[in-house]
Amino acid sequence: MDSAAVGLEKAIEAIKIGVSDPERDQLHRELDQFLGWLEPALEVDTGDLEGLVFSHEAINVLREDTPRQSDLAELQEAAPNFTGGFYLVPKIME
Amino acid sequence: MELRKTTVHRVAEAVLEGEITAHQLIDKTLKNCSVLNEGLNIFNAVAGVDATEQARAIDEKIKQGGELPLAGIPITVKDDLCYGVLPTSFGSSAFSEFISPVTAAVVESLMEAGAVVIGKTNLDDMGQGSTTLTSPGGATANPWQAERTAGSAGAAAVATGICMLAVESDSGGALRQGASHCGVAGLRPTTGRVSRHGLNAHCSSFARVGITAFSCENISGVLDIISGFDERDAATAVCRKGIPEIIKTPGSEDITIGYPVTAFDFLQPELREVFEQARDDFAGLGYKIKNIDLGLLREGLQAYYIIALAEASSNHARFDGIRFGKTGEADNLENMYFQSRAEILGKEARRRSIFGTFLLSKGNYGRYYRQALKIWELIRQEFAGVLKECDLLMLPTAKNLPRQLKGEVSFLDEWSDDFFCAPVSLSGMPALTIPAGQVNRIPVGMQLVGPPFSEKTLLAVGSTSGPRDTGTL
Repeated sequence: MDSAAVGLEKAIEAIKIGVSDPERDQLHRELDQFLGWLEPALEVDTGDLEGLVFSHEAINVLREDTPRQSDLAELQEAAPNFTGGFYLVPKIME
Repeated sequence: MELRKTTVHRVAEAVLEGEITAHQLIDKTLKNCSVLNEGLNIFNAVAGVDATEQARAIDEKIKQGGELPLAGIPITVKDDLCYGVLPTSFGSSAFSEFISPVTAAVVESLMEAGAVVIGKTNLDDMGQGSTTLTSPGGATANPWQAERTAGSAGAAAVATGICMLAVESDSGGALRQGASHCGVAGLRPTTGRVSRHGLNAHCSSFARVGITAFSCENISGVLDIISGFDERDAATAVCRKGIPEIIKTPGSEDITIGYPVTAFDFLQPELREVFEQARDDFAGLGYKIKNIDLGLLREGLQAYYIIALAEASSNHARFDGIRFGKTGEADNLENMYFQSRAEILGKEARRRSIFGTFLLSKGNYGRYYRQALKIWELIRQEFAGVLKECDLLMLPTAKNLPRQLKGEVSFLDEWSDDFFCAPVSLSGMPALTIPAGQVNRIPVGMQLVGPPFSEKTLLAVGSTSGPRDTGTL
């Protein structure tokens, strides 16, 4: 396996998405195509430019830290399983 | 009352003055909906009883003297935007029955103004795509040529006259390309102008909520209603002290339109002819045309996909069967995650999330992701520089005619369809798609792109150019 193929296997493990063997093979082929497709972007001379993280200049604005009413009943109704005052989720401890 | 041949203002006026009740209008709309939707696959859910109840409530408010500038106006909502009454699937069959506890801010604003939601419209797998070809429920056909994709279902709903306004998301160009393919107008607003609260964004940096309508006039009629600061979306903080509008009077030689000559080399010859004609038409209307250069469109598209995939891998992490989505059947926790995520995410969303994780991994982050952030800055500078030389610029919207519903298309070809839209998304500038003409009876649109908060100028200029003769459906 080349480094991209190893990287792809690690990515699948890290993100925990189940893929079938045929899909896995296809992803390997497609990743090679994708990385080739990206080559022109890598050749752009960006020098010491800082990367952008937001489209225009803006400062973060905090809202007033005041208590608010939440409609808990509405949230509880939206939960798949709310029983005895608890939101029940699948077992995550083994 | 044929919705395609009138305006939002005129219809709302008719409802407010009692020429027709909101209930009658929506009843007729729902009947038309089942006929016009035939074979197109526009809707994931139709409001039915809910829409009727909304309309009755509007009629009651009018009796009590309510001021409703959008009284009775039928709207559709793309299915990655929450509406607390109908299911919101996000483009995943795992959420086909999910009723959100919230309603998207834009939908709330339009409903408060009297609009009536008649349905949720189809979209690509987890909202990722500009064709609907990856939708778990199948693609939406183009009303102009049913063997081709509509690009976006909301645009198809507007083009057929099912609704007057479609609320849609746009990251790499879904809203704009849909409008282009269906011969209608679509506005992607400036970053921060319109709240994204209630939108399931796969790509937070570039996802915006916009409006598709039959005419620029109809979009103008709702722009102020949906614009402004919303504390639930930090990006709207730029509008906290009011919207910094840039408005220029159109139709005069005071407005210069940039024409990126080399960009048109990437178009099919017949599409190129449409834009050359549109440029000449603008010149004929008195606008100054200035040749400009945008040299980084291809690299902008590539940078968009690096960032969009990286963000998708992060944003989709919550769909794990524990926090969101159905829990997959498995014998242990690890396998449960793999199974749940495989079921929640479709093939396109899986590809994007896995590639995004790859791009963010050690050794690739600097080479790809950091480089993409720098190209994003170069694109912003390039567009800002061009828009110092001219008031707005015209660009194609779609690189090709809409894709055929049947037939193989590679994922890279499909991503490349965003060639003219994704770089504009990176720029943060507003973009308006308007009809430019036709090729073989298929509509072709063009984008007008202006500086931040110049939407009213774009809409005014767009109004003077059309709607162009795109024939009759």
